[in-house]
Amino acid sequence: MKPHQLGRGALGLLGSIVLWQLIAGTHLAGAALPSPLATFAALGADVSGGAFWSAVGQTVGVALLGLIASALAGIVLGVLVGSFPAARYSTLALLEFLKPVPPIVILPLVVLILGPTAKMAWLLTFFGCLIPIITQTMAGVHDTDPVARDTARSYGLGRVEILWRVVLPSAMPFIGTALRVAAPVALIVAVVAGLLGGGPGLGKNLYVAQSAGDYASLYAYVLVLGILGLLFIGLSRLGERRLLHWHPSYREEMV
Amino acid sequence: MRKTLYLVLGIGTPVILILAWFAVSAGSTDTFFPPLSYILERFQALWLFAHFQSDILVSLLNLVIGFALASVIGVGLGFVLAMLPKVGEYLDPVIHFFRSIPPVALVPIFVALIGFGVEMRVTSIAMAAVFPTLIATVDGLRGVDSTLKDVSAVYRLSTREKVLGVYLPAAGPHIASGMQVSLQTAFVVMIASEMLGPAQGIGAMTLLAQQSFMIADMWSGILLLGVIGFAANMIFELGRRRLLAWYIGSRQLAKAS
Repeated sequence: MKPHQLGRGALGLLGSIVLWQLIAGTHLAGAALPSPLATFAALGADVSGGAFWSAVGQTVGVALLGLIASALAGIVLGVLVGSFPAARYSTLALLEFLKPVPPIVILPLVVLILGPTAKMAWLLTFFGCLIPIITQTMAGVHDTDPVARDTARSYGLGRVEILWRVVLPSAMPFIGTALRVAAPVALIVAVVAGLLGGGPGLGKNLYVAQSAGDYASLYAYVLVLGILGLLFIGLSRLGERRLLHWHPSYREEMV
Repeated sequence: MRKTLYLVLGIGTPVILILAWFAVSAGSTDTFFPPLSYILERFQALWLFAHFQSDILVSLLNLVIGFALASVIGVGLGFVLAMLPKVGEYLDPVIHFFRSIPPVALVPIFVALIGFGVEMRVTSIAMAAVFPTLIATVDGLRGVDSTLKDVSAVYRLSTREKVLGVYLPAAGPHIASGMQVSLQTAFVVMIASEMLGPAQGIGAMTLLAQQSFMIADMWSGILLLGVIGFAANMIFELGRRRLLAWYIGSRQLAKAS
């Protein structure tokens, strides 16, 4: 990014805060739209307390643990199912049906069984990220160059070795993309689990602030979630690039 | 021979799974997992058609209106930002910040601002779903091949011709995938806006059933939401394939060669 772009972006941010202040100053929306000053004051009060940081920790922890668990399970299942055409065809309809169904749909069931706990939030996050990772891994396995696979076989590599040295590396870009897309989703589901399922963390704080009419805190939490969202998106992008810097599609980008 | 086997597996496995669910759950006394036959009975009693108008139609209408608003605003604003790069530079960070907020977190704010009514739900859906389309539109337009731009300048195309004849088709695949993400966001926010606060709609009914321990009703709500989520995506996909048939065809050709 060039310096003048950075300057303009900062100006745009500043401008929107000023606009927010002006609209809040008209008192059209009353208490439901606190001024930026009040919001930042609430944010400052939150940041200095320990309860806030433990809520952040719970939300981020649920999102990360859910993401890691779904990545492990998704890659293993995706490689297994993707390696056998019979398994691939048998699961096709089920996976295609489940793919566009968001985890919020099963929230009532998961809350019913596990209650408003961190475990519930974690399970929901796990399910929310699992299906896309499985299908993307399967697509990657399926996409392996048959010539490379046959070459490895004629060199006498075993099944496991072919899987490790040929199939998995060629599926890596697919897996990388799946994980990059799944990371922000994990944060979203962790918030959903708190907001609607009562699981501990920032989502629950949002709900409490809204029902108590503590609007300055509500806006402060939304700001914090925006920053967390930016971090999740940015770090997953960086991670994908670090992980795949050797892959042809990324090497071209570097030049 | 092999192909028929795969076809049989593809169609047979889901059928077997459903039958297995039916058989295993028959006579189940587990509170959480009632018999599938009972769930389907409740499904029929609730959704076909006692609550069809009062809840299903309301939910679907909110979804469609919210998504349509998000698409129109997203594509329109995206065009403006891409055509005026300077304005885009000012607004980029703000837009990316709003995009990063988990969409459901916006719902409590709209509840605070406009209450629990239908307007709140449509606004929440539209506001949360606008960002994927907006960002994809801007990216798609910025990525338009410069040769295309030069050629349309040489031919002295009018702005209208340029926008409708060159830019929109060139950015079409990008816009479509943005809209697909928007549709999923809209669906999630539709459910969330119904679950938050006492309101009508499929999400509200499902959560209410869970809270009042009517487990089979809750299951039927989950089934209905799952089917709607799947169907919405499929309808979108069919439309996308029709509109972008030229693009999908050229991609397949490029892959085959």
